Amino acid sequence: MFRNFIFVAILAIQSTINAQHNISTLDEEKNIYEKISNVPLKIVNRDDVRKFELLYKEKPVILALVFTQCSGICNPFLIQLKNSLQFIKTDKNYQILVLSFDSRDNLESMSKLAKRFELDNAINWKFAITDSIQALNNSVGFSPLWDSIRKQFDHEALLVGINQEGYIAKKLIGVRSHYDLELMIRSINHIYTPSYKLPAKNSLFSCFNYDPLTGKNTPGTGLLIIVLPAFITAIIILFVALISRTKRLSS
Amino acid sequence: MESLNLKKITSLWIITILVLFVVAIVLGIVMRLNQGEVIKLEPLAFYTNMTTHGITMIGIWFVAGMVSVNYLMERYVKTSYSINLFAFVLTVIGVVILWTCTYIGNFSSGWTFLYPLPLKDSGSAPWATPMYLVALTILGIAWLVWSVSLMAQVLKKYSFSQLLAWQHLKSNPKVETPPFILISTVTLIGVIASLIAAVIVIVLYFAEYFSNGNFVNDALLMKNLTYFFGHTIANEMLYLGVAVIYEIFAEVSGRPKWKTTWYVALAWNCSLVFILTAFFHHLYMDFVQPEGLQIIGQLASYLASIPAVGVTVFTIILAVYRVRIKWSIVNLLFFIGVIGWVIGGLGAVIDATISNNVVLHNTLWVPAHFHTYNAMGNVLFSLAFFYWFSTQHIKILVISNQTLYTMGLLLIGGIGFLIAFYMGGADSVPRRYSTYPSGLASASYLAKIGASFAMLYLGAVLIFFYNISKRCFGILYSSPY
Repeated sequence: MFRNFIFVAILAIQSTINAQHNISTLDEEKNIYEKISNVPLKIVNRDDVRKFELLYKEKPVILALVFTQCSGICNPFLIQLKNSLQFIKTDKNYQILVLSFDSRDNLESMSKLAKRFELDNAINWKFAITDSIQALNNSVGFSPLWDSIRKQFDHEALLVGINQEGYIAKKLIGVRSHYDLELMIRSINHIYTPSYKLPAKNSLFSCFNYDPLTGKNTPGTGLLIIVLPAFITAIIILFVALISRTKRLSS
Repeated sequence: MESLNLKKITSLWIITILVLFVVAIVLGIVMRLNQGEVIKLEPLAFYTNMTTHGITMIGIWFVAGMVSVNYLMERYVKTSYSINLFAFVLTVIGVVILWTCTYIGNFSSGWTFLYPLPLKDSGSAPWATPMYLVALTILGIAWLVWSVSLMAQVLKKYSFSQLLAWQHLKSNPKVETPPFILISTVTLIGVIASLIAAVIVIVLYFAEYFSNGNFVNDALLMKNLTYFFGHTIANEMLYLGVAVIYEIFAEVSGRPKWKTTWYVALAWNCSLVFILTAFFHHLYMDFVQPEGLQIIGQLASYLASIPAVGVTVFTIILAVYRVRIKWSIVNLLFFIGVIGWVIGGLGAVIDATISNNVVLHNTLWVPAHFHTYNAMGNVLFSLAFFYWFSTQHIKILVISNQTLYTMGLLLIGGIGFLIAFYMGGADSVPRRYSTYPSGLASASYLAKIGASFAMLYLGAVLIFFYNISKRCFGILYSSPY
């Protein structure tokens, strides 16, 4: 058990580094506010074929793209996702759709995947396949590459946040912390997420100093500079007034 | 008594201001014609026009106020001719550099040069941003020296508390502070503070520009300082015009001179304090701005404007209601200007209310209100002064038919131009768009209407320009003998 844990942990760290190594920060901005493709979904433990639209209209969706025969990022990615979501205390609506992008997968293999992660009975989790994966991949900017030697897809660990109108509100690439997931859940629930530049050595006069560890802002020197014009004016006027008064009295 | 040198330099200022005013109106009309799809400008050309139009208008109507106040202040204290001339020379140099930056260097960040726009590549020449900052430095130094010099002169005669008319807050004051001196003082203090804010912004820009990435500015700080400068100076220039009204409205109307009362003193002291914090209303959309400052912004917007407008309107109404006064183009321009100031001010207060700003922010409502209190307020105050200055030697000013037609043209043109802006604002049409997307059907139509009426306004301004400049040239070339 412990050995497995170590193995998964090492794999997770390795995969995270690999997955994040080639990511340009702008990749997460692509396809934002574009509509997700309304592909038909076959969901584990359901008999019918449902359009994606029915799913996101019911609740905002966090879409995780994986394949069951993945020997790389998929497993640590799902473990991290499951663990991170446990930390998030939110009353916000969301559901997780784990969708296979491998045409070799079927409902049975996806069902096994759900069981392996003890998510087969989790209310918020859905495991599914689709026969129109290319359309969905295109709509979210996901481009897995088939490696015929390893018989594996070379792909990113991608989470896509979709709001109830079917628009992509946020994308996360790589295995991410529960803070990032929390932001995604806020985004797909139409809650604006303000952001502020992190303190840096080359930024001397910030109005606020943000501490990423505590998430709190403390007033900075910039706030003092805002009152500086009024302060300097007062000094100038008082100085001129003093000189003028002396001259006036002497004359 | 005003010296001939002062009259000549004032004439020179007036001619320069009016020339730049006509050109800046043309730029504005070109922008509205482009938005109305009557002509087609490249976006870069539109934004260089917008930048030039904005900075020129702010600059000329600020110096117009300063010129008027400087001229009338000579009635109370001796002002410095050398510093007046120094300010003129540096202003001309600054304007030439600014226009070079926009039309040759394609500087196009808007007159507010909001951070970090000037530091981003927007199609401008690499030298345009530092040159623009150099031009602002030159103007800032000139105007700061001028303002401090005027303050120093009045402080030679009055104590600081007398300048602010604090003795009028008690009964039976021993020394009387003329309202002109009170309002000029309040305004000059605000002007000095706003120019110092500009100096700090420029220093911070230069620091980042030359640091090769070793120093970056805080966007929130830069925006606060930029509007400390921009908002404050745009309001103070209006108050310079109001000071002129307090000095000469009664005089040209053949009525006794207005005196400072306790409520006039109180209102203008309120303006002094609150105008310096009203700029926070420009940052309502900046979520990192502390909520307390947003509330101060709203309250200060009310307290800076309402008392000053209230007492001025009350004083003007008392001066004209059921009183036989000599109407001339001068007091007529002042009177209509006050109406424009009040309407524009109301539009500003509506926008400065947080709950309204959520809807009106960055819509055409913003140019609607500031064009109202400038084009139909401050401009009229200054035109009235220019007219009065150029006709001082004429004993009786009558309102001729030509005067009435010109005023009619000015009013119809101005009101039509403004209504197009207000309707756009009410329809949530965004400001600062070079061309409007097809979804905003009313926007380009309103722009066409606005441009048409602005041409009528321009026609009236050209008539004023001709009449005033002709007489100013006469003063400029007159000899003391």
